[in-house]
Amino acid sequence: MRRDIVVVTLLWALFTLVGEGIAFTVDFLPVQGAEEAAIIDEAFRLLLVLSIPVAALVLAFLLYSLFRFRASDGELQDGPPVRNHPAVARLWVLGSLVLAVYIVFNPGLKGIRELEANRTADLVIQIEGVQWHWNVRYPQYDLSYEWALQIAMPVDTRVKFEITSQDVIHSVWIPAFRTKMDAVPGKVTTLYVTPTQVGTYEADPNFRVQCAELCGTGHPLMRMTVRVLEPEAFQEWLEAAKVQAAMAGGGMSGMSGMGEEMGGMGEGSTEMESDAGH
Amino acid sequence: MKPVFKGLAWGAIGAALGVGLLVLLRLFFGLPGWKLEPAVVMAYLFGLSGWLLGVGVWDYWARGWLGLPNRPYTTTGWRRYFDFDTDHKVIGIQYGVLLVALFLIAGLLAMFMRYELMQPGRDLLNSAQYNRLMSLHGTTMIFVAVATIMGAFGNYLVPIMVGADDMAYPRLNALSFWFVPPVALLLVGAALAGGFDTGWTGYPPLAAVTKLGALFYNLAFLTIGFSSILGAINIITTVITMRAPGLSWGRLPVFVWSIIGTAILSLLFTQFIGLAMLMIILDRVAGFGFFDPARGGNPVLYQHVFWFYSHPAVYVMILPGFGIALEVISHFARKPLFAYRWAVAGMMGVVVLSAVVWAHHMFVAGMSEKLLIPFMVTTELISVPTGLVFLSALGTIWRGKLNLKTPMLFALAVIFNFLIGGITGVFLSDVPVDMHLQDTYFVVAHFHYTIVGGGIFGLFAGIYYWFPKITGRMYNERLGKIHFWWMFIAFNLTFLPMFWLGIHGMNRRIADYVPELGGLNRWVSLAAFVLGASFILFVYNMVRSWVRGEKAAANPWGARTLEWLIPSPPPLHNFPSVPEVVDDPYGYGVPGTVHARLSPSPSPASD
Ligand SMILES: [Cu+2]
Repeated sequence: MRRDIVVVTLLWALFTLVGEGIAFTVDFLPVQGAEEAAIIDEAFRLLLVLSIPVAALVLAFLLYSLFRFRASDGELQDGPPVRNHPAVARLWVLGSLVLAVYIVFNPGLKGIRELEANRTADLVIQIEGVQWHWNVRYPQYDLSYEWALQIAMPVDTRVKFEITSQDVIHSVWIPAFRTKMDAVPGKVTTLYVTPTQVGTYEADPNFRVQCAELCGTGHPLMRMTVRVLEPEAFQEWLEAAKVQAAMAGGGMSGMSGMGEEMGGMGEGSTEMESDAGH
Repeated sequence: MKPVFKGLAWGAIGAALGVGLLVLLRLFFGLPGWKLEPAVVMAYLFGLSGWLLGVGVWDYWARGWLGLPNRPYTTTGWRRYFDFDTDHKVIGIQYGVLLVALFLIAGLLAMFMRYELMQPGRDLLNSAQYNRLMSLHGTTMIFVAVATIMGAFGNYLVPIMVGADDMAYPRLNALSFWFVPPVALLLVGAALAGGFDTGWTGYPPLAAVTKLGALFYNLAFLTIGFSSILGAINIITTVITMRAPGLSWGRLPVFVWSIIGTAILSLLFTQFIGLAMLMIILDRVAGFGFFDPARGGNPVLYQHVFWFYSHPAVYVMILPGFGIALEVISHFARKPLFAYRWAVAGMMGVVVLSAVVWAHHMFVAGMSEKLLIPFMVTTELISVPTGLVFLSALGTIWRGKLNLKTPMLFALAVIFNFLIGGITGVFLSDVPVDMHLQDTYFVVAHFHYTIVGGGIFGLFAGIYYWFPKITGRMYNERLGKIHFWWMFIAFNLTFLPMFWLGIHGMNRRIADYVPELGGLNRWVSLAAFVLGASFILFVYNMVRSWVRGEKAAANPWGARTLEWLIPSPPPLHNFPSVPEVVDDPYGYGVPGTVHARLSPSPSPASD
């Protein structure tokens, strides 16, 4: 009895060590492209670190019992008539309650507070979802284009996205920034990010806007390249984009096909890779 | 078979009547007579009534009303399963076989989905076809998960386990089953009518503007909702009023408790999904505009109403899995269920808390920011009552004498799988983390770990555990164990990598993804095919054993609950006399104890 407890405790410690070892060495997360991503990744890592001992505890008991307490085949023998150890049960409840309350505060409330802390922005980008493409406006720069294949923003600048939809619900997800907000018809939702790293879709596919709410046939290809640029490069991009938008009469992409051929897939990803803005 | 054909014939007549009535009404109000979607709704409502009439559901009430004598039920043998029958055991098998068949079909759809996802770009299906397939897979599986354990095992076993000869309302019980075949027909009909591409969640405005098939989905949900509510009323009443003498609440098998919790959830919350569906139908058919911002509606409102049911529904799918797992674990560890009262309290705690967590599905839906924190708090707290199930399971196997038969393996797998499902649920309940993971394959992996890993593995534990009781024959243990390891390993190989996919930018419900994720997706697809193939073995074992397995003893497991005191399969009225319950069913390790005595004479009837 005592030996069993000792062994299972050791097993628990071992599993925890191995698990934490993996958690601290393996890079579970994609490229961290924004301040928000740092907050969210920290929350993710903390939850991972906290959940490993919990999982290890259950696993240790489960696996140890499976081998140690299995009956020899073909004989039915009863175990000891133990019905409860109230102290164990109380400890269990207390432990899980403490853990649950703790994660409410950290990373939960802490993360929300950090994400909501700064509600100012230097750059506003308006994104409108339409079945099945995005329309983009930079109201400060008088730039607007439809059937957008990319958006750009300067690095280390606070950006506010104003998101809406013309028809059904879409969702703006930028994996490199770890943030996501639904585009709901009839209202404007907002998302604040501060990109901290220069990047493009071509270099890392997580630099993209991906529609994340099922919106019909063209849903998987509702993507845009996200370009996080140095400030000078962003200014150049703006000028080029304005010229292009003027030439295309509001439609900057100059690439047809998105949306029309949505029944047939495959072209979209190649379009994504092509350098549409320059 | 005759009642089924009669039902179909009357259903057709009803549908024609409904359409005719609609045309007349529309002409009367000066509208063009024909309009497709209202016609579909009318045809279905009248067709459904016709179907129930033809099957014979209304016979008893209608004939009594008209002063006619009632027909006796004379069907015997296998034909009973195709007839209107009020025996809870027949209804349980009807539910079980129909829903397991649906499970296999929906699983087959998933194989096609995984084939498409094997590599980036278009292979087998275009995006529209993929969306339809995915929606049908999801919806069918949700129906299966909601209804199978409660419909099949709840019906078959709860009356026996409480020592009753049938449900409290046998006719209502039959009625709730005969709602289910139309649901299956609607799902097939949806596919034939061009399918629906809204996922199982059917969010408007998409759901209100998309293909005709979405209307079939709404009607199907509405119908299975009726069935759930009626079934829940029946279960609750049966357990409250028909328990055998001596079977106090504290002696109730934990499986029955889990079904009670499930029934409470179904009874209280199913009406909200009915409401959501009704509102969408009215939006589509009559232009009410509940969810259309152009008409003063709000699309996010639907999500509140929908999840107000559908989150509790998640526990409708999982609680019975917990119940079966704990029941099986106690009888196969041959130890009293550890901390029985705490486990029951945990399940009831889940029932209560599940009512106040729904908006955690909507952290990025654009709802009021004030709602983020309360729903994060309630969701994270629900891990506390859930944890009690783990306490009970681990405490029971600790120092037990584990009899590792197939049902036990599945029951332990419920604990393992739900551990992963539960912990990843904590990640998703954290608002910041959810901003990244919402609507990704992380969510797909998470809910497959909970619903399949918990609920469906629990269902399989139950199928193997009660197979001898229900069919009177033993399944092949060797094949059962092979099926278990095959399914368990393939399941984990399929769904564990999906967490990684979600974190690394694969959103859900897509036929195509960024090329960088191709390698892992190929792996997931191959594992999924292996998982799918495991069910061939299962079906072979079940069918073969049912037909020519060796005869099962009354109590092949040496278990203690009431169903094992009567022959396998149980006779028509279950018990020769009212059983007398003298103790709880978990008295392992104390010689001479029994759960109940069958005859008035005090001889223990077990074994
Ligand atoms: Cu979209």
